Amino acid sequence: MYRIRFHGRGGQGMKTASRIIGTALFLAGYEVQDAPRYGAERRGAPIFAYVRADRRSINERGVIDRPDLVAVADDSLVALPAAGVRQGIDSHTVLLLHGRTPGAAWQERLNLAGPVFTLAPAAHVEAGHASAARVVGAVARLLGVVDRDTLIAAIRRELAGLGDSELAANTRDALAAYDELADQHGAVAEGGAVVSRDFLPPRWIELGLDVAALAAPAIHAPATSTAVQTGLWRTVRPVIDHARCNRCWWLCSTFCPESAIAVGGDRVPVIDYDHCKGCLVCVTQCPTHAIDVEPEEEGTPEGGRS
Amino acid sequence: MTRTLLTGNGAAAWGARLARIDYLPAFPITPQTEIIETVAAWLEAGEMAGRLVTMDSEHSMITAAGAAATTGVRVFTATSSQGLLYGMEMLYAIAGWRAPLVLVNVSRGLASPITLEPDHNDVLAARDCGFLQIHCATCQEVLDSVLIAYRLAEHPHVRLPVLVNLDGFYLSFTREPVTIPAQAEVDRFLPPFAAGNIAFRAHAPMSQGVAVLGGAAYSYFRYQMHLAAGKALSVYDEIAHDFAALFGRCHEAVECYRADDADYLFVMMGSFATKAREAVDRLRDQGLAMGLVRPRLIRPFPVDHLREALAGKKGAAVIDQNLSPGRGGILHTELAAAIGCGRNRPMPLLASFIGGLGGRDITPEEFYQMARDLVEAVAAGRSPVPRLLYTDEELRGVRKLQGVAGSTGGERR
Amino acid sequence: MTEIKSLRDLPARHLLGAGTPMCGGCGGLEALHQVYDLLGEKTVFVNAAGCMTLLAVYPFTPFRGSWLYTAMASAPAGAQGVRDALDILRGQGRITPEEDLQVVVLTGDGSAYGMGLAATSGAMDRGLDFLYLCYDNEGYGNTGQQYSAATPHGAHTATSRGALGYPGYKKDLFSIWAAHRPAYVATVSPAHPVDLARKIETARTRQGPRLVIALSPCPTGWDYDPAETVAIGKLAVECGAWPLKEYRDGRVEHTRVPKKRRPVVEYLERQGRFRHLFHPVRQDALLAEIQARVDGYWAGATATGD
Repeated sequence: MYRIRFHGRGGQGMKTASRIIGTALFLAGYEVQDAPRYGAERRGAPIFAYVRADRRSINERGVIDRPDLVAVADDSLVALPAAGVRQGIDSHTVLLLHGRTPGAAWQERLNLAGPVFTLAPAAHVEAGHASAARVVGAVARLLGVVDRDTLIAAIRRELAGLGDSELAANTRDALAAYDELADQHGAVAEGGAVVSRDFLPPRWIELGLDVAALAAPAIHAPATSTAVQTGLWRTVRPVIDHARCNRCWWLCSTFCPESAIAVGGDRVPVIDYDHCKGCLVCVTQCPTHAIDVEPEEEGTPEGGRS
Repeated sequence: MTRTLLTGNGAAAWGARLARIDYLPAFPITPQTEIIETVAAWLEAGEMAGRLVTMDSEHSMITAAGAAATTGVRVFTATSSQGLLYGMEMLYAIAGWRAPLVLVNVSRGLASPITLEPDHNDVLAARDCGFLQIHCATCQEVLDSVLIAYRLAEHPHVRLPVLVNLDGFYLSFTREPVTIPAQAEVDRFLPPFAAGNIAFRAHAPMSQGVAVLGGAAYSYFRYQMHLAAGKALSVYDEIAHDFAALFGRCHEAVECYRADDADYLFVMMGSFATKAREAVDRLRDQGLAMGLVRPRLIRPFPVDHLREALAGKKGAAVIDQNLSPGRGGILHTELAAAIGCGRNRPMPLLASFIGGLGGRDITPEEFYQMARDLVEAVAAGRSPVPRLLYTDEELRGVRKLQGVAGSTGGERR
Repeated sequence: MTEIKSLRDLPARHLLGAGTPMCGGCGGLEALHQVYDLLGEKTVFVNAAGCMTLLAVYPFTPFRGSWLYTAMASAPAGAQGVRDALDILRGQGRITPEEDLQVVVLTGDGSAYGMGLAATSGAMDRGLDFLYLCYDNEGYGNTGQQYSAATPHGAHTATSRGALGYPGYKKDLFSIWAAHRPAYVATVSPAHPVDLARKIETARTRQGPRLVIALSPCPTGWDYDPAETVAIGKLAVECGAWPLKEYRDGRVEHTRVPKKRRPVVEYLERQGRFRHLFHPVRQDALLAEIQARVDGYWAGATATGD
């Protein structure tokens, strides 16, 4: 069975990518399962989707924890534990990263035994935006069981609602990636089932009763959400040019939906990059246009994004 | 201490008064309304302290009850039937808050068809919501159970809301002699609510009723509710023991009447169990070793108590005043599971009887016949097909109604 | 209480914790953080189902004070229970006045305009001393922006995808609330923070039911770039589609009457949810109807001297 996991940020098209691959494998004669998985987070936050494909009917369900292929739309997610990109990866897992850092660099940084392929963003793709279509083309090639015509048919089925020009652009991007990785045709091998002999037993416990004061789902501490680094959602960052900032009455801070811009007694605004989601409301509202937009550094695995 | 005639509703109101409740969010519904009217009159006359607020629905009422409880006051509320189901979402929600309160339900059959008369489908629809359930057979039990319920709900290891159930009409509007204990005695039994960290206060922020992400956190909190409800069994036994010591009335988790030396049992809950008690005496007169087992606690389900009571008996007639369409009696199903699992003790043959729906009576002759059917089934060594109690006379009556209604079984006239 | 005259009187310190799972550029969160700065942490927010259900996800909460999640229909009933309990505790001397809290209901339009309306009406009937903040993003946003009773005429939603969009009209919740003759009702916009702050300060000083609707631009549901949140909020006011007004002591007054209203199309054409009114064919009749309704509103408002 093929077990493929797609990682991206909400809005980057990984759910659609998983569906195109699901349809392509279905058209290629496989039994298929595909599904997205969302958390509480919204646009910009990490999400994942998965596809299973087998020649026989599929009994497995739910999250894939032993993937054969992990495709990542945005390589900044690799360093983010909450994104779970590295979950269950072993030496047989192929990792496909959309980004500019070379595969060998990732292998070294992450100490990975399995192959890592990178897919450079297309020239026409805006900085910070992943191309779901390129990921789709690359995944089809790495699987080696989806031919060009099947890939084209699957894209048409899933994206028909977008209109002809969008469909053509996506097909073109997917086929370009498909061709770029021609040398890696069939690099992904199907994984087997979890064996029932000599398996690792679950570490079940006798769950004890806790006092209700502890066992109630209530939070007794203030503002604990600040421990959540929503700054990791950002693909671009606002940067204040303090030479141009006229120390106004903190418009940027008032309008920032996240409470992520603080203004001290000197009326100098400071952006909290741990939490700024990169919505750029501050950029549009700054009366002196003192806030610039810069792309986040791509592929910094050590969490150097803030 | 006074002994006087009280309805079941009056007894429930006295329970609330003696428990020194702080707050009663209310909404009228037959046959419960007398409870809130009684408390409202006492509040207006200054005979008791506290606040009653009539809400816009039972859903709002149960929300307000839970919200007040989680702010740290002692809360009482009451409803019935459609009202309990209208607030069903909130029963689950506030049980999850782990804030204690007591809700009295006056059992009444559910629509459709609409009826005002009692059976247990309403309260059993709330079986899995996390509220503990105490079912009463007499008006005295109603008063006593409200007091016991507060001790149980507020126990630091339990801290779950408790539902006290009484049958509409048969208890709610029926007067019986009830001993009203003196306030000072009740105060010795039931201390003021020690809310601890169940509070919204300026110095102590709390976010309550929050979401969780992922099955592990969700499972932990739900498992803890289950473990707390399980713990409530031994806590209940201690409280019932204290109650008996102070007031001389024993309300065990499972009432056993002439069951010790019985060969055969009736098993049922609620007020009709006193009819079964009477039938036991009459059958004993005729030499049949009959007994009665009545679970007062339905959640937690007193499995060990019931197994103990049933072990070694030849047969048990389980009488359900409820119906799960497509399955049958709910108590029968629960009891079969309770005696069917584990441990090698001889357990009786079970016979299932459904009756008393929508206020339908169960006559003495029907109890005797159920006993006879049970004895025959034991002799044959085979559980009978579940019996829906219904007579040819009743069917003839319904046929007449159908004639008037113009119902012709699908043929156009 | 500080009198709010201009931006400089707005708080520069923000109370609401960052790190919530709300979308980047969320207009509702922008309104909430502005309101929270003014109300302070001696508050308990009673929440109904909506996007902000997920403000607090165990163990993370953005609140420095308290929060209670109830259900979609019954947040005002939860507020009743908390308020009554606090009053009882005060009356019995079990808490000091310093320990008391303001009770604030927080719901979206789905609850406020629909499922929770009976509970809100009941709370007003009972004269409950509380503040109600509705973040109105004109649809069931948390489930993917299906139309609600707050959706404007013609808007594309997940359940009104036809050529003419939503066939219904936005419910006049302000008037429904005001008809109860509560202590205070207001409409606000987080794009107009001074007006918002004045109204919250007014609401704070009054006793009884006080209800505020914040038009909350929603980049995800309204389909626009998150950076535009404030710009679109301002346009809603400047074109007259979202009148800023307040009700007190039996009178309705507009707090900001646009001198010369901008054409409604300027507001509509910046949002994807109205794109079908312009492309592929311009729906002139519908656009004229929407404009006429806005004009009609203001003609009536002026005629009655509001």
